[in-house]
Amino acid sequence: MLLEVTSLDAFYGDLQALHQVSINVNDGESVALVGANGAGKTTFLKCVSGLIRQKRGSIEFAGADILSAPAEAITRFGIALTPEGRMLFSSLNVEENLQMGGLNRRRGHWNLQRVYQLFPLLAERRLQMPNTLSGGEQGLVAIGRALMANPRLLLCDEISLGLAPVAVDRIYASFAAIRSEGTAIVLVEQDVKRASSASDRVYCLLEGQVTMHGASRDLDAEDLTRAYFGT
Amino acid sequence: MVWLGTIINGVLLGGLYGLFGVGLALVFGVTRIVNIMHGEFIALSAFVALGLSMLLPNAHPLLLIAPVVIVSFVLGYALQAIFVNRAMRLPDPVAPLLLTFGLSVIVRNLMVEAFGVNPRSIRRGDFAQLSVDVFGIPIGVLPLVTLALAVVLFLVLQFLLRRTEIGRIVRATADNAETVRLMGVRPASVYNIVMGLSFALAGVAGLMLALRTTFTPFSGVERLLISFEVVVMGGLGSFWGAMLGGIALGVAQLVGLRLNPNSGFLYGNLVFFAFVMLRPNGLFGSRL
Amino acid sequence: MKRLSPPLITFAGFAAAAAAAPWVMGDGGISLFFEILLMLAMAQLWNLLAGYTGLVSMGLQCFVGFGGYTTIFAANYFSVSPYWVLPLAPLVCGLVAACSTLLLFRLRDAYFSIATWVFSEVVAVLVLMMPGLGHVTGMTLETARDIDYETFLLTNFWIAAAIAGGTTFGIYVLMRSPLGLGMLSVRDNEIAATSIGVDVWRNRFIAYVATAAGCGLAGGVSFMAALFITVTTAFDLNWVVAMIFIVIIGGFGSIEGPIIGTVVFFGIRELFTNALALTGSWYLIALGTVAVLTMLVAPTGIWPFVRDRLGIEWLSVKRDVPYAYAKPVS
Repeated sequence: MLLEVTSLDAFYGDLQALHQVSINVNDGESVALVGANGAGKTTFLKCVSGLIRQKRGSIEFAGADILSAPAEAITRFGIALTPEGRMLFSSLNVEENLQMGGLNRRRGHWNLQRVYQLFPLLAERRLQMPNTLSGGEQGLVAIGRALMANPRLLLCDEISLGLAPVAVDRIYASFAAIRSEGTAIVLVEQDVKRASSASDRVYCLLEGQVTMHGASRDLDAEDLTRAYFGT
Repeated sequence: MVWLGTIINGVLLGGLYGLFGVGLALVFGVTRIVNIMHGEFIALSAFVALGLSMLLPNAHPLLLIAPVVIVSFVLGYALQAIFVNRAMRLPDPVAPLLLTFGLSVIVRNLMVEAFGVNPRSIRRGDFAQLSVDVFGIPIGVLPLVTLALAVVLFLVLQFLLRRTEIGRIVRATADNAETVRLMGVRPASVYNIVMGLSFALAGVAGLMLALRTTFTPFSGVERLLISFEVVVMGGLGSFWGAMLGGIALGVAQLVGLRLNPNSGFLYGNLVFFAFVMLRPNGLFGSRL
Repeated sequence: MKRLSPPLITFAGFAAAAAAAPWVMGDGGISLFFEILLMLAMAQLWNLLAGYTGLVSMGLQCFVGFGGYTTIFAANYFSVSPYWVLPLAPLVCGLVAACSTLLLFRLRDAYFSIATWVFSEVVAVLVLMMPGLGHVTGMTLETARDIDYETFLLTNFWIAAAIAGGTTFGIYVLMRSPLGLGMLSVRDNEIAATSIGVDVWRNRFIAYVATAAGCGLAGGVSFMAALFITVTTAFDLNWVVAMIFIVIIGGFGSIEGPIIGTVVFFGIRELFTNALALTGSWYLIALGTVAVLTMLVAPTGIWPFVRDRLGIEWLSVKRDVPYAYAKPVS
């Protein structure tokens, strides 16, 4: 097992955002994490990537305990996050953003050239500033930036949010290439259909708890609705 | 004709003012903190330069730049690491401002105790008094060198920020300190380096100040206000804006002194206020 | 109204102590407490501005000095006892402050802070340059010559006590009023405050003008008692340095904080300048060190630290939650 999260509680001050969440990801797998706004999906990713300190439980990555590891150290373990809202560096051009991703890179397949091969659009726009790019193009930069670190696990936080379907298609099309290099993916989305079609297994969160878990192809619409909205 | 000379010298003085301001602009651009110690550090550097010049009486004053830069960088790095980073972690956004204010009071009064209140200057008669004649207007060599130095340092800073990896890291941290952690960068370490650089720039400014005029432990206050005005007028975080702001202030200052020799920095301050009324976002509102 | 008890005792006790002081203390003690009381008043005012309204001023020395100059100049000019012209000080300072907001309120946060400092420097230079104000040599208060020394000393002391007590009590009452609640809301969240109809600008304006007027009055009294004023002492940055350190050390946003802070301030000052007989700068270094350490160790100041640890209330401006809305803590 690559990522093993057991009984995770997470807090924002006095507010408990996650309750006893247990989620696993295997090497090379693609796992979807779905749920409504505020369900705790982003909180979960932030916990795994070390951005949230107030947490208890167990987070193991490739056998190592990373629960108390700070965000700066997590990248060395081989976890990369495309944050909610993409969070590109606005003073840096496309290429510089990608280079930032490769700052503490591990050895692996991805480098600047290969990222440009995966996303030729970015090669054309390499010297442009992020605010001159479309939302979809920014999404590609965000993924490329994460890939530059050669992660074993790629966490994607709502990368399709606010994007045109065409742009989303382009992003999802790259997942095949990413997975073929052995990288596992956790896809956080509100769009269940899209997420489950690109993943092997699905977890559903509601109000900070896992309400459903199963293989994507076995998803029952009724069960999912109940798990998503809670009735 | 004499007014033209005043204006030209004002422009040259603006180089020194720009130099005062750029360190403050750098820190603000990255950490969003106005470092009140900045002025005191310029004054302290002047005293350090004085000390160095007494230790090495035969060294050309410009050679003092290297040791001043190194010592200043280390001090700035340490201050940020030990004090300011802590204050930045506190929930109150006013905390770092008040902390640097408190530290500035300590530094200023330590200087008073250590050096006394009498005006000092570096006695390098030849260099400071040299002037060239340009179309009948006497132009001091030192101010010319100061402006040139300011421009060079600006260019070096720009190069560092735009074309090196460390510069990339600094800019990224300034953009988004949380996201940059995902790439293995500790924002606190970046702030240490930035503060060190800022102090190094203040150090050079202090050295040039010491060569040019007399100074006391109270010289820091005025330099802080000048630095601050230069930064605001230029547009928060913009370097070339700071340079232009400095020139505007320099010209205003010398013109004002010619009109009224007892006015201190009044005219500079008035120009600053006019700016605030008319263009509160400064000349270039961008950042870094 | 059980909750009024500690404040009632405090204010009544203070008034009694002030009245009785001359029989208990010698001239030296009266002079020292004169200073302490004025400083307390100014610290409360700085706290009102910063702790309650979120405006950190580094330029209040402007009004201290301007109030002093107004008082001495007017007394000399009209050839009257300074007590008659004392009310001019807060009036004039309030006016100047009101006008300055046209400029200063265009800036926010740290920019506002330093701009107030610049403003003070500008006023200082203008006063220096203005004819009739003594330029570098300063001005002496001519019309106090006829007042008996003891009477002068005691009257000033009682005025200072009235100012200190009045400021503290006034701020206490203000904070418990709707206007005060408005100010607190502005400090906490400007946008949210605006959205519920709080006039942010008006709150800040009132606080700023009131603070300036208060500092002007304190400055007027202070320099009147000193009989002499120069630009250097009038617009000395250390006035606001003292206010800021007192509030940092004593505690922001509470009435009790500045009281504690003032005690610490003068404790350290007397310790260093009298007991240890060190030169003037050392007490400022010590104070700065205490302030910096307080910021790093107990960031909200001594009083909130003590209050929260021991669970005591003194001059609290906390309000009772209306019962219907109070939720039991789980």
